[in-house]
Amino acid sequence: MNEAVDVVIVGAGAAGSYFAAKLQGAGKQVVVLEAGPERGLEDLVSSSIWARRLKWGGPPVDSQGVPIGHNVNFGWGLGGAALHHYATWPRFAEETFHIRERYGVGLDWPIAYDDLRAHYDAIQREVGIAGDAEDEPSRPPGEPYPLPPLPVFAQGERLKAGFDAIGVDVGALPAAILTRAYNGRDACIYDGWCESGCPIGALANPLVLHIPEAKRLGAEFRTECAATGVLTDETGQARGVRYVDAAGEVREQHADVVILAASCVQNPRLLLASAGAKHPDGLANSSGLAGANFMVDGLAAVYGLFDDPMENVFGVNAGQLFHRAAYEDGRARAPGAYQWQLAPAIKPNDLAGIAGARPDLIGPDLHDFMRRAAHGLAVAAGFASTLPDAQNRVELSSETDSTGTPLARVVYRNAPEAEALWAHIAAEGVAAANAAGAREAWHGRPAPVHISGGTVMGDDPARSVTDGYGRTHDVSNLVLAGAGLFPYTGGSSPTFTLYALAHRTAEHMIEHWSEYAA
Amino acid sequence: MRLNRRNFLKQSAVGALAFKVGGAVVTASPAHAYAEDFPMQVLSAEERAALEAFGDTILPGAAQEGLAHFIDSQLAAESADSLLIIRYLDVPPPYAGFYKAALAALDAAAGGRFADLSSADRLALARRMGAGEVAPWRGPPAAFVLFVLRMDAIDVVYGTEAGFDRLDLPYMAHIAPPARW
Repeated sequence: MNEAVDVVIVGAGAAGSYFAAKLQGAGKQVVVLEAGPERGLEDLVSSSIWARRLKWGGPPVDSQGVPIGHNVNFGWGLGGAALHHYATWPRFAEETFHIRERYGVGLDWPIAYDDLRAHYDAIQREVGIAGDAEDEPSRPPGEPYPLPPLPVFAQGERLKAGFDAIGVDVGALPAAILTRAYNGRDACIYDGWCESGCPIGALANPLVLHIPEAKRLGAEFRTECAATGVLTDETGQARGVRYVDAAGEVREQHADVVILAASCVQNPRLLLASAGAKHPDGLANSSGLAGANFMVDGLAAVYGLFDDPMENVFGVNAGQLFHRAAYEDGRARAPGAYQWQLAPAIKPNDLAGIAGARPDLIGPDLHDFMRRAAHGLAVAAGFASTLPDAQNRVELSSETDSTGTPLARVVYRNAPEAEALWAHIAAEGVAAANAAGAREAWHGRPAPVHISGGTVMGDDPARSVTDGYGRTHDVSNLVLAGAGLFPYTGGSSPTFTLYALAHRTAEHMIEHWSEYAA
Repeated sequence: MRLNRRNFLKQSAVGALAFKVGGAVVTASPAHAYAEDFPMQVLSAEERAALEAFGDTILPGAAQEGLAHFIDSQLAAESADSLLIIRYLDVPPPYAGFYKAALAALDAAAGGRFADLSSADRLALARRMGAGEVAPWRGPPAAFVLFVLRMDAIDVVYGTEAGFDRLDLPYMAHIAPPARW
């Protein structure tokens, strides 16, 4: 039996490590359980091949319907998905929080942009974001960025001319990537290895942010410790977490507060796997919505092949330039909100690599394409938003993992509106690439990215799983963290909002501790 | 070093590809393993032949770069440590079953051994796989098999420092991958 602590956190990714640092810093004793392995900066080898070890390597997830790309989107080990994320960090648009109230679709957040604004500002100061608040399309109000925007290479300049020509305004891309040294971390050198993990820490990742901070303050991280369920007492309150350690021993970690920060899939899996006498349908599931409203944005990769060098190996994976179409703007052109990221640094191999641009080519034709595209390919990545749908959900499978815990099954389908929006974005991108003077322009097939929802927050306990802080409606000392809380994203990259929300909740927990630990 | 699972995994984890050769663990690049004809650990001789012939069809030079040795070494490792792109593609581990079924289907579709086909027939069959026009096809979906093996071939030919050199691209590593890749 481990000694009881104040807080036990499941998951050592962006949200889990943030809560660990801030709660430990406020004098709470924190233990973090991470199913994956220990990781250090030395593990972040610059290689799309070796980087595969950073992606999900835990119990398989059964995917039914439209594939969600679970394993490539989620992380594994200290740092989680934030270790390989691209660090595109826009604030969510103001309308994103009120999409039902304004347009009669989807779900509203229980909070407004103004409730998060100061927290975006605070995270931005702490982490460091490069951008240009004046030049960024659809940026809501807030402090200017602490760092100048990313440099624009030939690929970005060329694509910008094309988007300008078709009337789509593109500007500085907000990125949690240091364009100058900041808070003891070095500046980016634009070698395009973001997805392999950034060992110099120019790209914000938990191994240079909150994991060392939390450890220095005394938090304990236990790796290769897979949570199998939340323990509850006779009143139905959480009293800790049951887990299987690296040696295969079943253990318990008791705590006054339990925080699940184990991803949009693993959080609902744990809730549903924690069914008991007081909650026969799963923990925090009186609404029947634990696992529901799971969302996946659709990536439209658009390619243009140019005769002159695009300098496409340089920069960052997030891209160089940015556009966001609000739901209101988009309705005139397309059924939904979306986001463009122009000119990512690309490498020859991997899903987002040069070879992936023309999956139909084989044989000598493939070598010919690789030689031309290695220098002449430009890429624009469009992200189609998706609306929450209670039928898109995480469930428990009838199969179990090695600990006997049921596996997660994700059931997902695309709404016709989402497919129409994706088609609109793909066509818009091809038009822009042609307007930019590409010799050839085309788009790829839809790819699943930006996973969110599954345990959404809301005011009504009958229609949501948590309140506006992520505290479950049913269990007052059980807090959920991460993008699973989002009722809607507007197609925007989720990580900055994940941190802003964590900042807000951590502050609230510290100020109102007795309400959480009661 | 004596061969046992712990040593083998340790070698795999430190950042080089590990091969079992004559009762010992050897770290080497896939191209070196191919040149030295290291034995397969998971795949059979027939599966290796089909894989190398198919690799050279969809990306000429892939066999010599050690496509079969790369895949075989990863099939022998823990799936959580796998370097294969298939781990991204919602195929449940262990991944050996996918490769074995795919290669068996390939040989069957070739009417015996894929490696025995002429170059033109090999390319034609690969193109029909991409179009989903091979019937009967008894294995994982043919277009998906082509997609996965094509990405594996791209990894060994173009995903390394030597591969970047072939495209005249600077590699610019923060932390270089192991030389004995």
